[in-house]
Amino acid sequence: MIRFDNVSKRYLTGLDALAEVSFEIEAGEMVFVTGHSGAGKSTLLKLISLVERPTRGQIVVNHAELGRVRRRGIAHLRRGIGMVFQDHRLLMDRSVFDNVALPLLIAGAARDEIGKRVRAALDKVGLLAREKAHPLTLSTGEQQRVGIARAIVAKPPMIIADEPTGNLDPQLSLEIMGLFAEFGAVGTTVLVASHDLLLIKRLGKRALVLDHGRLVDDFRPQGKAP
Amino acid sequence: MSRQAERNVRKPTPAPASAKSARPRRPRVPWRLRIAAWRDQHFHGLFSSLGRLAARPWATALTVLVLGFALALPLLFFLVYDNARELSGGLREAREVTVFLKPALDANSADALAGELRQRADVAAVLVRTPEQGLAEFRQLSGFAEALDALQGNPLPSVLVVTPRAVADMDNPALIGELKADARVDLVQYDAAWRRRLSDILHFGERVVAVIAALLALATLLVIGNTVRMDVQARSEEISVMQLIGASDGFVRRPFLYSGLWYGLLGSVLALAIVAAVEIALAEPVGRLLDSYAHRFSLHGIGVFAASSVVAFSALLGWLGAFFATARHLAAGQPQ
Repeated sequence: MIRFDNVSKRYLTGLDALAEVSFEIEAGEMVFVTGHSGAGKSTLLKLISLVERPTRGQIVVNHAELGRVRRRGIAHLRRGIGMVFQDHRLLMDRSVFDNVALPLLIAGAARDEIGKRVRAALDKVGLLAREKAHPLTLSTGEQQRVGIARAIVAKPPMIIADEPTGNLDPQLSLEIMGLFAEFGAVGTTVLVASHDLLLIKRLGKRALVLDHGRLVDDFRPQGKAP
Repeated sequence: MSRQAERNVRKPTPAPASAKSARPRRPRVPWRLRIAAWRDQHFHGLFSSLGRLAARPWATALTVLVLGFALALPLLFFLVYDNARELSGGLREAREVTVFLKPALDANSADALAGELRQRADVAAVLVRTPEQGLAEFRQLSGFAEALDALQGNPLPSVLVVTPRAVADMDNPALIGELKADARVDLVQYDAAWRRRLSDILHFGERVVAVIAALLALATLLVIGNTVRMDVQARSEEISVMQLIGASDGFVRRPFLYSGLWYGLLGSVLALAIVAAVEIALAEPVGRLLDSYAHRFSLHGIGVFAASSVVAFSALLGWLGAFFATARHLAAGQPQ
């Protein structure tokens, strides 16, 4: 589902964010990317969603070789990736429903279809009752769950999340990670960047460990299916 | 997890069987639904952009006012030009050469000259106006009957009205030169010179209208472009989120394009209203002025076709302005 071949990324400032990173993630796998801050976690996710392009190396995402994806293809590629951000990035001038409906509008779904799928997604994150609410009136945890509902509403084959629990307390973090684990269990590929090693350990999933842009460990828990 | 939830998550895509399937596949959606979705998106863009304009009534009103006046100006110039052209239509067709003879010449000599001219191949007709006829006509037209009665004699000369046959160089036929050279002739008044001057003036007017229209069209483009650009900046966070979750440039751009379209439409409707108001304000004095032209001419307005072209054109300008305003921002949101 995601394959990195000797990928390096050097920013224009001269910073080497990633150096010769190679790994492969199968469809339906749930994988964490971890490491200290500045280790390259965010860069890795940005390369997958084509926010940045690698300086060297090849990346294949959802069977598409990213080096060959031109500007027009970027939007299409991103529709196959549900993205969750640390600061959720909801549109504050729209209701919860409208926020979650956005990917479906973008994909050109029919109106009655949109209503059904938005409610299903909100149901899954436990916010069905809040569909008319304004994001500002929700708690941080609820806002993040709306962000997750937006990421899954179009049923993308892959979800990537950049520090989705960065602003949440441990209890909420566990809840959110539990949600991601559920998606992974039904065949969606999930890639979560997080520096919360404790949490990662508790979930017992595969983890890619980055250190100064290098992949130093590809930890797979023993005796557990990926 | 419930059954419902399971159904909502796509099953893992099988590994590609061949190089051909090495792209993410679009879900198969029937054409009818796709067209419906496309129509929905456009209706959504059309009305959500209108809603957004209505949400800031003052800013929108100001922009529309600026546009309205900018568009009304060339329209008014055009109206003046168009009516002037109409008015001059009669004059432009005049071909007669008016030949004023020397006052000393008597009626017989005038007839003799008229006879000579009638022999010429390039003359179609010659009309002799004796001083008496001239005086009678003058008395009737000018209302100076009493003053004319006070005159001792008739100060008017004999006049020949010569209608030349069409020749290649109507601006300056040989006939005119020869008449001017004739010793019996005092003054030759040929309307062609006036006609040409009038044509030149009208041509100039046409160019002025075109240049002003072009400049103000550019201004319209810039006003709308700048307004939309500010709107784009105010919503840059929203745009970048949309881009991140897979919105195409077209999707991001659409509401802005519709805003531009609305600005253009509203501006042009206001411009037409301004022109109509000016017409109403001027109708009375212009009508009086035209009455003195003995109803040969009537002021005409802008017309349905021209008005709808103005609306369509300015809507297009608005759309274009918004297009250019969004282009840079969209490019900035993508890698490289």
